Formats: sequence, C-alpha cells, structure tokens
Amino acid sequence: MGWAPPPGRNHSMTTIQRPSPSLLTTRPPAPSLPRADDSPPARWFFYSAIGWLMLNVVLGILLSIFLYTPAIQDAIPDTLRTQLNFGRLRPVHVSAGIFGWVSMAWAGAMLYITPRLLRTHLYSDRLAWLTLAVWNAAILGTVITLPLGYSQGREYAEIPWLFDLMLTACLAMLAVNIWGTIARRTERRIYVSVWLFAISSSVSVVVYAVGNKIWDPSGSYTGLNDAIIQYFYIHNLFNAWFTTAAFGIVYYLLPRLTGNPLFSHRLAMWGFTSVWTGQHHALWSPAPEWLELTSVAFSILAIIPNAALAYVFMMTMRGRWGTLRENLPLRWLSAGIVFYLFTCVQGIAQSFRTFSSYIHFTNWTIGHSHLAFVADYSFFAFALATYLLPRMFGRPLSARRVAEWHFWATFLSITAFMYVLWFIGIRQADGWADQVPFLQIVRDLKPLFFVRLLAGTALALSQFLFLYVVIRTVTGPRDQSEQPAPAIATVG
Amino acid sequence: MGIPPELRRLAIGSFLFLLVGIGGTIALPYITDNPGAAATTLSPEELRGRSIYKREGCWYCHTQQVRKPEANTGTVRLPGDIGPETIPADYAGQRPTFWGTERQGPDLSHTGSRQSVVWQREHLRDPQSTSPGSIMPSFGHLPADEIEALVAYLVTLK
Repeated sequence: MGWAPPPGRNHSMTTIQRPSPSLLTTRPPAPSLPRADDSPPARWFFYSAIGWLMLNVVLGILLSIFLYTPAIQDAIPDTLRTQLNFGRLRPVHVSAGIFGWVSMAWAGAMLYITPRLLRTHLYSDRLAWLTLAVWNAAILGTVITLPLGYSQGREYAEIPWLFDLMLTACLAMLAVNIWGTIARRTERRIYVSVWLFAISSSVSVVVYAVGNKIWDPSGSYTGLNDAIIQYFYIHNLFNAWFTTAAFGIVYYLLPRLTGNPLFSHRLAMWGFTSVWTGQHHALWSPAPEWLELTSVAFSILAIIPNAALAYVFMMTMRGRWGTLRENLPLRWLSAGIVFYLFTCVQGIAQSFRTFSSYIHFTNWTIGHSHLAFVADYSFFAFALATYLLPRMFGRPLSARRVAEWHFWATFLSITAFMYVLWFIGIRQADGWADQVPFLQIVRDLKPLFFVRLLAGTALALSQFLFLYVVIRTVTGPRDQSEQPAPAIATVG
Repeated sequence: MGIPPELRRLAIGSFLFLLVGIGGTIALPYITDNPGAAATTLSPEELRGRSIYKREGCWYCHTQQVRKPEANTGTVRLPGDIGPETIPADYAGQRPTFWGTERQGPDLSHTGSRQSVVWQREHLRDPQSTSPGSIMPSFGHLPADEIEALVAYLVTLK
C-alpha cells in the first residue's frame, strides 16, 4: 500500500523535478539538511513555550496544594490574598498551559516544518518575529490581568478582550505565513503535514474569534446561546487547532524518527474530518435535544481519522519498535500517540448520554483534560523539542541521562495523576448516584486528593529536568566537525 | 509554484464545512430557541454579586445546571435537594452563563431554596463553620459590601 521509492532513487533536487505519480501518494521529501539547520523565529517560539510551561507547572503545584488544604490560602499576606487563590489562579494555569506552552510549540513547529517540507524559505521571517512578540505579550498580559480579576468568566475563554484580539491576530499572521510559504514553494508535492497546518491555522482564526466573541469587550453571548457557543468553541479549539496541528506534527516526525516511509499518505489525509459541534460536552443540558444527538453522532464519526492515525502509526513503526530503547524523541512520540488513542476512546465513551450522566461533573473530566494536554500534546511537544533543538544547533541532545529521567518521571507521574483522578471521579459518581450527602463524599476522598497532590507535584517537578536538558543543549559547545548532525540523539 | 488547486479546493471545502458547523451549532439554535422570559430579574446589587461570582471563579467548582437524570434525586445534604431540572428560561438574559464543568462543590442552581442569607454569609466568611471538612477556601478577605452583594446574588438562585 505504501508508495515505495524506486530502487536507487536519490533525493537530490534534480530527481525531485520529475512528475510525481500523484500528489497524494508520495512519501515526504527526505531531509537533506545542512549541518545545523536553524530557524531563529521557530526556535524562539520553542523557548517561549518552555517558559510558559514552567509557569504552568509551578501554578499546578500551588493549585494542587490549595485544593488539598484550602486553609493555607488564609496564610497568604493580605496584600496578595485577593490575587493568590484557587479561583483566580486556575485560569492562569490553564491559559499559560494551552495558549502559552502547547500553542506556541505548535506555532514554532509549523514555522520550522512548513518551509522544509516545501523546499523554500519561510514567507516572512519578519512576520514570524512579530507573531512571536505579540503572542508573548498577549500571554504575559493574560497571566497578569487574570489574577487581578479581569476574567471573562467562560472556561478556556477567560482571556480579556485586548489579548483576545492579539491572539486572533497571531493565528491570522501564522496562517498568512504558512499560506505564503506554500505559494512560493519549490517542492511540487505537498505533504500531509502542510495540508493540516494550512487548514488548522486558518480555521482556528474563525473558531477563536467566534468562541471569544472578539467584537464585544464582554466576550459573552446571552443566555442559552452563550453556553452552546461556548461548547462549540471548546470543542473546536481542540479539534481544529490542537488536534489537527498535532496530526501534522505526528505525520512529520513519524517517518523521520523511524526511518520508514509513511505507510499510507492517502490514509493519513483522512485526518480532515469532523469539525463540528461540541455539545457532547454538556449532555442532558437545557440545549436542544437534536443538537446533543447530532454532536454524539459526530463524536462517533471521529473514529475514522483516529483509526487512520492508529493504523498508519502501527504500520509505519513496523520493524522499528526496538529502536524505542535508544530513540528518545520516537519514544515521546509513540507514548503520546498511544495516550492520544486512549483519549479518543475515552472521549467517545464520555459522549454517550448514559456514561455522561454518570461521570460528567466529576474529577474524571479533569483526568481526561490532563490526558489530552499532558500525555498527548505535551508528549508531542517533548518529541519536537528533543528532535528539533539538536538539529537547529547541529549537535546531539545534551544531558542525555537527565532527558531519560525526564521521560520516565513524566510518564509515571502523569499516569499516576490521571488514574487517581479517574478513580476519584468514579467514587464521586458512585456517591452521587447513591444519594450520599455531598460533603460526606468530599471528606471521604480527602486521602485521594493527597495522592493527587503528590503525583501532580512529581509531574510538575519533572519538567525542571526538561528545562535543564534544554538549557544544556542550547548553551552547549558548538559542534566543530563537518559531520552532519545525527538524526537521532544517541547516548553519550 | 503557487497554491495548488487541490489545496485551494480543500481550503474552500473546509471553510464551507466550518460554516455548516457554525450554522448548525450556533445559528440554528440562535434562531429557533426562544428561551422565554427570565425567571428572575436581578437588581443592580444582585448583578454586582453575580459579577463577583464570575471574577472570583466560583463557577470553576460549582455548576449551575441540574440534568434530567439527577433532577430531584441528586443530593447536596438531603436526598433530592439538588432541585428540579434547569430549563432554558433559567438562563435567559445571562451574560455569561455558568453551566460549569466540574463539581468540587455542589450544584448551586437552587442554593437559594436550600440556605438562608445568614447561612450564605457565614459560609462565605468561614466555610468550615457551616460545612466541616469542606475544601472551599474562605472568602473572608473580600470587603464586607462585596460579601453582601455575593450573598444577595446567591439567594436569588432558587
């Protein structure tokens, strides 16, 4: 099924000119990269993302402590008591995590990967720098104003108006850069990742603008419609931005890290489906019944792109499973894909009205969102960082042993963290169904909240290992040899 | 080489699909749903309380949505006291709505039917005094007039 290159074919620029069999059945152009293949704007997007990750994890520890011992908030000095409490800091943790860390890593990946797959330069480096500056300014403004009490009061859309406008502009500038790069390409064939990046960046502009009602400073619609549009926004922020772009990143990294051609480009293209309503996030709600049922149907249809991803992943990995032992970026990627498929199974299950009526509103949901953001998207971002940063500098990943520790510490702590949340969720759901008084359940679950605190803290602290690896890699000695950078960082 | 026609077609197709999605998700409910008149109209003081509820992030841990399967059977303190199912009219005119996604604390759609002004005030100042073992932080650091506004809003939730 996979399109195999003819024997003896090389990937020089001369052979690339010949007509390809079809746009959709090609393998990606092989990386013919120079010794150090840098892209400063993309690299700074990664640095910024990692900075926001650190803020996110520090707040994660703090919130976990607040939730376990609320009284500790009363020990905070009066001058800061208003700003530093659970309700004010929770949106900072989420916004820095999703719009700072994951989104900026995604933008960096798009800016780095797109021109390389199209054998050209980025449309505009200047525009990329501007995007970077505005994006960081918007997140910085957000993390300052939210504790001051300027939240718009809608989940994932708390960001105040001015910064909403700035983030919308950032997504639009990113889309212009990607489409501009496509327009000046010298590579005839367009690989699936580029298709995904082009659509993801531009569709997300509309999703963000509508979801945050950017033409209205209050940022909210009225009554039932506010809630319905809220769920449209939440769902498509995931669907159009995080997941669509993540598919592009996976399909880019998979052939490079395994050394195998992508098993089937045609199957990979099935990733373009299912941009639809998010009403399955609130079933049995006052929203119209037809809307809920339509959204459940579309949730089930999500099996198509995700099964395609699973199949392409398994088949592309053939004969390469053993390399997971040495190949750290591939291990991040593979673990992320397996977790991602788990997210999909769980997500589809949660979209059934029977299961939803039982599990919705419990801590299960928080386990699910950490599964998506930490175990899927962050794992992909770690794969990107450990693969791309060494290439940008033309030298292997530094502090390889610490990088191994980072993987295992993160992997084990996120697993423990999610399982304890799911277990708490099931206990809560059980208690609610049995008409146990609410407070009784809260008291009974207190020991499990302590386990959650421990696992969450371990997860957060592990990210400082990552920071160390990145700093060592970035500041390490330049490789003076003329050897090409190894595709895979090796031990030593 | 420019933008290939396939990608252009795909882009147009994606946007059309997105428009269908927006139409089905946003425009249709917007046109067809008549939420009716608001069950309660809030006074300026109660509205101020509501904006404090939004600002302090109360809605992260408390939902305002009673679903059909749990209506009049769900339990806060006594069996069934979660109250009746919430209907579109309950949310008429609200900007934004506070459906919520998780319950670290109980649903508040009908808290005004369960608890008095005195109880709400005490609970906000010191949650442990009314609910021993609660994981809710104290809001005693808020100015007294803000606590009163918040209480005024909470008791409208009936």
